[in-house]
Amino acid sequence: MSKLREMMRRSMMEIILLTLCAVLAFKANGFFTTGNLLNVLRNVSMQGVIAFGMTMVIIAGEIDLSVGSAVAFAGCLTAWVTGKLAWPMPMAVAAAAATSLAAGSGIGLLTGYLRVRFRVPTFITTLAWLTVLRGAAELVTNGFPLTPFPPWYNFFGGGYLAGIPFPSIVFVVVFFVIQFLMNYTAFGRAIYAIGGNAEAARLSGIRVNFVKIAVMGIVGVLAALSGIMQSSQIMSGNATTATGWELDVISAVIIGGTSLMGGSGRVWGTLIGVVFLGVLVNGMTLLNISEYWQHVVRGGLILVAVLLNMAPTEKRFSYT
Amino acid sequence: MAASLQTIAIRKEYPGTVALDGVSVRFDGGKVHALLGKNGAGKSTLVKILAGTLPPTSGAILVNGREVLLRSAQDAFHQGIATVYQELSLIPGLTIAENILLGRLPRKHGVIAWPEVYRRAAAVLAEMHVTLDVRQQVSELGVAKQQIVEIAKAMSFHPAVLILDEPTSALAHHETEELFALIRKLAGQGVAVIYITHRLQELPQIADTITVLRDGRLIGVVEMSETTPQMIVRMIFGAIVQKQRPADLPVGAEPVLEARRLGQRGRFREVNFTLRKGEVLGIAGMLGAGRTELLRALFAAEPFDEGELWVEGRPVRAPGPVVMKRLGLAFTPEDRKQHGLVQMLSTRANLCLASLTLFTTRNRERPVAQRLVDQLAIMVSDIEQPVAALSGGNQQKVVIGKWLNTRPRVILFDEPTRGIDVQAKQQIFQIMWDLSRQGVSSIFVSSELEELIEVCHRILIMKRGRIIAELRPEETTADELYVRCMET
Repeated sequence: MSKLREMMRRSMMEIILLTLCAVLAFKANGFFTTGNLLNVLRNVSMQGVIAFGMTMVIIAGEIDLSVGSAVAFAGCLTAWVTGKLAWPMPMAVAAAAATSLAAGSGIGLLTGYLRVRFRVPTFITTLAWLTVLRGAAELVTNGFPLTPFPPWYNFFGGGYLAGIPFPSIVFVVVFFVIQFLMNYTAFGRAIYAIGGNAEAARLSGIRVNFVKIAVMGIVGVLAALSGIMQSSQIMSGNATTATGWELDVISAVIIGGTSLMGGSGRVWGTLIGVVFLGVLVNGMTLLNISEYWQHVVRGGLILVAVLLNMAPTEKRFSYT
Repeated sequence: MAASLQTIAIRKEYPGTVALDGVSVRFDGGKVHALLGKNGAGKSTLVKILAGTLPPTSGAILVNGREVLLRSAQDAFHQGIATVYQELSLIPGLTIAENILLGRLPRKHGVIAWPEVYRRAAAVLAEMHVTLDVRQQVSELGVAKQQIVEIAKAMSFHPAVLILDEPTSALAHHETEELFALIRKLAGQGVAVIYITHRLQELPQIADTITVLRDGRLIGVVEMSETTPQMIVRMIFGAIVQKQRPADLPVGAEPVLEARRLGQRGRFREVNFTLRKGEVLGIAGMLGAGRTELLRALFAAEPFDEGELWVEGRPVRAPGPVVMKRLGLAFTPEDRKQHGLVQMLSTRANLCLASLTLFTTRNRERPVAQRLVDQLAIMVSDIEQPVAALSGGNQQKVVIGKWLNTRPRVILFDEPTRGIDVQAKQQIFQIMWDLSRQGVSSIFVSSELEELIEVCHRILIMKRGRIIAELRPEETTADELYVRCMET
């Protein structure tokens, strides 16, 4: 009996997600169609890719508020470099994408370095990046969308592979990679240890600084990856895209059961959180619920999710 | 008229134990009364009862000869008993004046009257002959000055009795002078000061009388001028039953860890020793002697400023915990809850904390953890439960266990037996001896000096950041060791 209850508690989000899907299947016209479901999957993939990296960051006890701006910046940088290079298109695009990925990881690594070397909280550094990168995107594009891309470039954001949207394939691959990192490598176990108690981890001979810098680099590279796919979907580098994504991404991670205090959380939970938010938005749109209400619901949801996560944690520690 | 605080047959029972057993004692104004005893002797229980935060099971408390009932900290305050606890309760972001008058800032028309705040706080300090700028922020002060502000806060209520619970525990030796001068001044003004300390070497400087508790009983009250260190040690510790280590613990010839003129500014200096294979080396000393700082430096958890560390005949380059671990060192910190374990993770995860290999899975970790649980007799119902659920002794074994995975050559134990029961202590000694038989060396720091005599091959005495003597347990007794540690 208590085992069943324990399972119910652990899979609360899965149950809620399935219930939501079931309700929408009956109530919302066109929800339960292959086309719509693939659409939901494509929509959640871009943010989802980042959410997996964000899960690592939050479990390590850090945060990244700059991912939205980083997405826009990476898209604009890719477009700008592509346009500047007078090389054959495939090479130019490849070089541009590589530049963006390098820039994204570099920014993340720098944030991590500032964190461990000068103890600047990542909250502050990435808050600065939030503005700086948005401005940098504007500077690169000079305020207008850049459109240097060849038609085939659309594949990475809008194309299909075996009937599945390409970004969704990336989403699933990234999920497995991060899931593997977190659960099957010393690096991942160290992230949990550091988020749970950084000093104990340090005194256990764990490379705390290296791990903190690395997770910031990983989320940076994933934001850039997402930015490239985003620019491919809209076929331009646009400085005004992806505004507010940082909140969507962090919401998905928290709804997935990861503690903002660090030390606990699951990559699988984030997958559920991402899909849940995507389904919810899609469902509300299909049901013609106004966008204003959608904002209210999504915000309230974060609060409810945190409350649901807090209650059992408190109980677990009451007998120490 | 000088104030006085008297207790009559104070008794405090807990289910299964008696914390205080008929303690009758009198503290007179104008004097500093040192209250001494081992951990668990009943000092803190008595302090809590006098501070009104713990009701006694029976007995009476008299202030100035009149019986009082202390049902809360407020009651104690109103009866003129002020207590300053070990942990500072100041708010760092506020000024000295605000901290002194916290919760009762003078107001005018509902608005804080700042000139009045500063005037009153300055008056309190002036009365104590302390010169501090009351507008200064507390966070800018050193720990010693903060302690003085804390006392000023207590004195602003003009108490007849001032209880100081280990006020020097966070201070370096040179920082205590100012505090002692202040305490003497307050006693001179007629206040009865009750002073709790673990640093026996401070007594000649500060105490007028000595009150000793042991196992919840009052052992005696003596005038400081009529006592000797031997007497005090005998009163505190009673007759110590000395056990000896097993005979079959060989010490090899090869040096595994050497400290060469190791120093850390303000903490310790000129530390030299050689630890040999299989040796258990004890470091004796009173609280604040620099033992913990030395041990942390040996693991490079804190950088040292001078000297060198040598491991197996080679100097250590770029010392840090990661490097020291690779060189075969292990470290169980003094504060096992905060520094030794990740409380929210499972026993399994904690046991694998120091030995995360490149690819690791729960399924691979589980047998490793289970083997350690069996080997160290860790009492745990489920190794997947958070380690926070374990008792202190078992948590300590988990900290030790996590290092056994790394196949260490040296383990540094900082107060591994603090706050754990007798059986668990013996198990931990057994672990050290077993390691010694396998050629693993240990450095063992403990405040319970008889433990060092029982466990170690060799004991270094540390005082004020220096190693002042080296002796063999066979050549000494616990009494003698305590006396040598506390002599000035």
